[in-house]
Amino acid sequence: MKEITVRVSRFDPATDTAPHFETYTVRVNDGARVLHALHAIHDEHDPTLVYRYCCGSGQCGSCAVRIDGEPGLACMEEARDGMTVEPLALPVQKDLAVDMEPVLKRIARIRPADDAVLPSQEEIEAIKPLRDCIECLSCVSACPALQVTDFAGPTVLRQQMRLALDPRDTQNRIDEAIEKGLFYCTTCKRCVQVCPKDIEIPGKAIEKLREIANRRGLTLPRHQEVAKLVEETGRSVARTEPTFLEQVPEVIEPEGEVRGEVGFFVGCMFNGRVPQTALDAMEVMKRNGIRVIVPHDQVCCGSPLIRTGQTSFINDLKQKNIDAFTRRGIDTVMTICAGCGATLKNDYETPFVVKDISEVLTEYGIEPPAKLDITATYHDPCHLLRGQGISKEPRELLRQVVREFREMPTQCCGAGGGVRSGVPEEAAALGAKRDEEVRKTGADVVTTICPFCEFHIADCTDVPVKNLATLLLEGYRKKDAERSDE
Amino acid sequence: MSCNYFMIVYNAQTNKMLASEIVDCHVLVIGSGGAGVRAAIEASRYGDVALVSKSIAGKGGCTTMAEGGYNAVLREADSCTIHREDTLRGGAYLNDPALVDALVTEAPERMADLIRWGAVFDVTGERKIAQRPFGGQRFPRTCYAGDRTGHEIMATLMERLDATGAEVLNEYAVIDLLTEGGRVTGAAALDTRGDLVLLQADSTVLATGGGTQVYDISTNSAAGTGDGFALGYRAGAELIDMEMVQFHPTGAVYPYDARGRLVTEAVRGEGGFLLNTRGERFMERYDPERLELSTRDVVARAIATEILEGRGTDQGGVYLDVTHLAPGEIETRLPVMLEQFLAFGVDIRKEPMVVAPTAHHIMGGLAITPECRTTLPGLFACGEVTGGVHGANRLGGNALADTQVFGKRAGEAAGKAPKREKKIDPEQVETLKGMLDAYLAGSANPAAVRRELKIAMWNGAGIFRTADELGGALATIDRLAGLPLRAASPQNLIECCTVRNMCTTASLVVRSALLRPENRGAHVRKDVTTSWEPAASLYGHTRISLQGARIEQREGTA
Ligand SMILES: Cc1cc2nc3c(=O)[nH]c(=O)nc-3n(C[C@H](O)[C@H](O)[C@H](O)COP(=O)(O)OP(=O)(O)OC[C@H]3O[C@@H](n4cnc5c(N)ncnc54)[C@H](O)[C@@H]3O)c2cc1C
Repeated sequence: MKEITVRVSRFDPATDTAPHFETYTVRVNDGARVLHALHAIHDEHDPTLVYRYCCGSGQCGSCAVRIDGEPGLACMEEARDGMTVEPLALPVQKDLAVDMEPVLKRIARIRPADDAVLPSQEEIEAIKPLRDCIECLSCVSACPALQVTDFAGPTVLRQQMRLALDPRDTQNRIDEAIEKGLFYCTTCKRCVQVCPKDIEIPGKAIEKLREIANRRGLTLPRHQEVAKLVEETGRSVARTEPTFLEQVPEVIEPEGEVRGEVGFFVGCMFNGRVPQTALDAMEVMKRNGIRVIVPHDQVCCGSPLIRTGQTSFINDLKQKNIDAFTRRGIDTVMTICAGCGATLKNDYETPFVVKDISEVLTEYGIEPPAKLDITATYHDPCHLLRGQGISKEPRELLRQVVREFREMPTQCCGAGGGVRSGVPEEAAALGAKRDEEVRKTGADVVTTICPFCEFHIADCTDVPVKNLATLLLEGYRKKDAERSDE
Repeated sequence: MSCNYFMIVYNAQTNKMLASEIVDCHVLVIGSGGAGVRAAIEASRYGDVALVSKSIAGKGGCTTMAEGGYNAVLREADSCTIHREDTLRGGAYLNDPALVDALVTEAPERMADLIRWGAVFDVTGERKIAQRPFGGQRFPRTCYAGDRTGHEIMATLMERLDATGAEVLNEYAVIDLLTEGGRVTGAAALDTRGDLVLLQADSTVLATGGGTQVYDISTNSAAGTGDGFALGYRAGAELIDMEMVQFHPTGAVYPYDARGRLVTEAVRGEGGFLLNTRGERFMERYDPERLELSTRDVVARAIATEILEGRGTDQGGVYLDVTHLAPGEIETRLPVMLEQFLAFGVDIRKEPMVVAPTAHHIMGGLAITPECRTTLPGLFACGEVTGGVHGANRLGGNALADTQVFGKRAGEAAGKAPKREKKIDPEQVETLKGMLDAYLAGSANPAAVRRELKIAMWNGAGIFRTADELGGALATIDRLAGLPLRAASPQNLIECCTVRNMCTTASLVVRSALLRPENRGAHVRKDVTTSWEPAASLYGHTRISLQGARIEQREGTA
């Protein structure tokens, strides 16, 4: 037995105006789950504590709560000393029990044909990954789109795809999915992160539903424009000024000793809209002895098309990009755009390794820059944090170049998944939430590694937004300036 | 402290709670597991149905937890006759043959219903429902959806239920059946706030599932407290074979607070080995032919014996090992097991699980006819709350089939039953109110009572039994049942009623166990010797009701 202290949110809407926390010290056995700690509170301290549970083995989806802010199943998450347990972000009935019914009711139910027969093995195998859902509503609690739109929720859309895949079903699940907010999903993958069954809702449901919608001509007009542009120019951004690729040679040699070599995938935003940031990144590479090879025949990675379900010519793009790098014998490709990086890593089968700039710089180790006299915060791009599992490296690099680093809570900025162009009100509302958090930190600058986030957050806050590479370069310039002063 | 009582009657037609007017539904189904939901679907073809459930429908009970599969004869090479024989032999010939006939002949049809309604079962390359081998069966006839078969069935049934007009009342715990002149006329329930709700119906279907939560170590969901056995018994129904409690051979032992959690038989079905700490595949000594795939009673006793004789691990279990299987096979065939054990720090692709027996299934229950009529007019029952289908030991995969076959039968019979004039017996309601008031004024912590009860049952009425130990357990149960339970608030009344039910169910198990002086199936008495084969036993069902308790005995010599 061991003793742990647990903070639990208590709330009775019938008598209280707001939830409050109570702290309990309970004895549980080694390996006890959160549920067992709640049982101990209920059995030994306060029998009026209300929480829902049933199977105790992660199969019924009754007991999801937020543990230190993260949704999860009380019966599966290990109880930790000092943890805080709160209800899911849904209307609270009492204490930890929330009203699940309104969401459960929006989950569509199959309407099979009268002569429905057994599906084939392939059909079953396609449905299965979407069928593991236990409807615990962790994803609904965590989804940012739900905070600002009437998006029905990740699992609701999951079910739309599960039904669309079933040959027995008779309904039009695509129109329904659009009504339920198919285009509201920013593909931030927060739902995947909290799902106890690891269901890939954005990739396996949302993007696939958007694909079917696309085949039926239901893609949003703004998204269609992007696809047309890519089809005609190979780029998702129209050329308005000299592009990055037009400004650099195929090989950028470092200053001094060559410590390494990478291929560079620039991405449409950095190529066409903000080439200066990409040029800054090249300076940082030079400074750190890394040779950069930039194939000029690279094209759009396809991310804006995949995220919006417009995949008819995606294979051409993939092939062009893979060829561009393999032809030059490159074995590591660096990205500086979180979206491109996640796409190359997750949607491509590449014969080369793909790394984000923060990974490359951390692996080689950087020359220490001078510290800029500013306070910075960092916005985790969804496609870097969850798309590529990278959170430590950018923070460590950032700490080396600013006087002070302050964390802010992670949340999608609202730009991804075609939402910025397709549903601008939603993107603005999520951006406004970022602005609030940014301002709470009191930082002088927001740093990030994704041009979409950078652009969008810059639209939503007065605090300057900068790419990490640009800050590093500023650090080196300061260092040089200080040296020449001496 | 006082509690609010609302005389409320549920109106299935307008979906309104009415304060004084009495409106009834045609069929009331109690319980939202596989049996209850199947019954509600069927009954809704005949009239208004209300489904009342202690948990959120679809999320409660043991059906969602069932992992391994559903037995049905689907192949030319298999036959209902063989399934029947396997079931009877597995059940030590205590099964009611008419119920077994219904089970084996209709299990395939009910499977076909599920497929028509959208169930996602595993399918072979030849577009046939895939089947795996399960213990005690001569043909691999267990259909499955990975190792989340019950969840798949439940999801499918909930989708189907949605297409009927049945009203679902979530999170209402039935605390007693309502009776009028010996006939069941509905039920009294508590909502989560502790308000009393009265439900009236022409027919009532009891589908509350099992009750092995009366044991310290159990696989059952939190709803598996045996409420239905107690509800039926108090209303006057007869129950049979309540001593027949299946101990599943393989329950997890770690973490301690989650002990008993099921490790599906599919692990052995897919080729898992049982090993003791000496590395011996000990089933060779207990059942050399069927080994790990022997019937559950045999495997459970073998494991218990290995542990008792000192060949178990420090945690009090034996090893269940699948590390010789390909990792990919484990990932696709046993995903839930893999995920659960990973959560507890064990990668079953690389290291063995540690397992020990756990109380799993109550084979006994309300006596029913093949039409699911109980001995009480107006009351039907289906699923684990009934007795007779599985005899003295249930075969893995037969319970899910049971829920569908008898769920349909109960729904149909209840639906076809005539409409009646109904009255609520005010005296019964007053008595109930009195009981609830007493809980609000009580003093015994229900959690402490529950804990003591569970330990008494595990120690006194477990895998190996003696009259002495059973007697001791009964004395404890009687004492606990007499304690003045305390509800700290109206919302805690349900807990008190549940503990009351647990005491009743535990007592039914123990009293029945004392009646059976033989070793048969899951019931093993160390203080008696049994010289006959089960098929030749002189004993039939134990029968227990408010009228008394007895064991059926045939004339003749063994
Ligand atoms: C972990 C586990 C795994 C299993 N695996 C298999 C398997 O692979 N194959 C197989 O054939 N069998 C298996 N079984 C057995 C099988 O799952 C059960 O016997 C069967 O599902 C019981 O179904 P049911 O509908 O009778 O009851 P349940 O599914 O248990 O449902 C009972 C319902 O009644 C409700 N209820 C209970 N009391 C009240 C009350 N007082 N008022 C209102 N509602 C109430 C509950 O909330 C619940 O909704 C397994 C059992 C367990 C525990």
